[in-house]
Amino acid sequence: MHDTLGFGDVLKRQFELAERNYELLKDRGIRAINVMGAIGSGKTLLIIRMAERLKAKGLKVGAIAGDVAGDDDYQRFKAAGLPAMSINTGDDCHLDAHRVGHALTDFPLSGVNVLFIENVGNLVCPADFPLGTEGDLVVISVTEGDDMVRKHPKIFAQTDVVAVNKIDLAEIVGVDPQKLVADYRRLNPHGRAVLTDAKSGRGVEELLAALGL
Amino acid sequence: MHEYSLAQALLEGLLAHLREHPAPGSIAAVHVRQGELLVLSTEALREAWRILTEGTVVAGSDLVVERVPAKVRCPGCGYLGPVRYLAEEGWHFAVPVLACPRCGGRAEVVEGRDLAIVGLSVDDATPPRPGVAA
Ligand SMILES: Nc1nc2c(ncn2[C@@H]2O[C@H](COP(=O)(O)OP(=O)(O)OP(=O)(O)O)[C@@H](O)[C@H]2O)c(=O)[nH]1
Ligand SMILES: [Zn+2]
Ligand SMILES: [Zn+2]
Ligand SMILES: [Zn+2]
Repeated sequence: MHDTLGFGDVLKRQFELAERNYELLKDRGIRAINVMGAIGSGKTLLIIRMAERLKAKGLKVGAIAGDVAGDDDYQRFKAAGLPAMSINTGDDCHLDAHRVGHALTDFPLSGVNVLFIENVGNLVCPADFPLGTEGDLVVISVTEGDDMVRKHPKIFAQTDVVAVNKIDLAEIVGVDPQKLVADYRRLNPHGRAVLTDAKSGRGVEELLAALGL
Repeated sequence: MHEYSLAQALLEGLLAHLREHPAPGSIAAVHVRQGELLVLSTEALREAWRILTEGTVVAGSDLVVERVPAKVRCPGCGYLGPVRYLAEEGWHFAVPVLACPRCGGRAEVVEGRDLAIVGLSVDDATPPRPGVAA
């Protein structure tokens, strides 16, 4: 015997919660970006650099740091003068809409125009868990090698803005950033890849433009 | 790496269903559809299922996973259907490209991100397994 069932979808709840976050952020006029990417690729520093420029334009920027453990990124956001909050995922390798929903309830959102949500450093699972942000960004850096896009195609196929960071080190590590860009273009013909050096701030303005900020 | 929590969610849904509609025999297999866009290891999901079902009425059941191809809708030209794949050398597997395969426009994913139980194979000749349906 073969019963036909329709259990709905165990990921559907995630999509519903993401939708709820999306509405909440929209109602408050907050533009949120889910910043995903490889471990140590420069997510935190890039967020701080983007925030500096947005602040100079008179915008208020907040940051939520998602980490498996510890509050180092949170402390760095604080030190950079951003209203910030930390989400520890325990053993989970990604943020999800449920955790972010709680954080949005606790976060001092008043007056915030742009909110960066730094996901757990991981190019695998965050792709499966939408958070309800209006924009997604994946950060990789040249120091991870020139085959990062090929090794994790799904997250790149689904994300419309990519930062290829640490281009100041490209020559030293012998990686051609254009190879990463070319791979990405083939996977995602509409995507925008921006070369950045978060240390000096090169490319950050362009990245903000790609994100529509 | 989230196969465990997803297997748990599948199991909770199934046990709730079985409390309402007990099966007339032992459950040999549970059929699941997995959207191909999910970055989910089918092997790890099956392993998690094997461990999590221990002591339940579905212990020992085989998790049979069917991969569901991605489908997109193009707001530009109205295309609705399968995607194009990059399968040339150098890519590690056939990678779905989410742009519209007809006009190249930006397309919306309408299928390929779901994970759901779609059926059970029940062995009528064997009585239901004892175990918690909770
Ligand atoms: N040379 C150079 N170093 C960079 C650049 N961006 C970040 N770094 C350095 O790389 C290290 C990691 O940067 P983070 O911003 O902490 O990276 P992350 O992705 O937030 O790291 P996790 O949160 O631990 O995954 C730090 O020492 C940064 O100063 C860059 O463009 N060039
Ligand atoms: Zn960080
Ligand atoms: Zn995960
Ligand atoms: Zn089209």
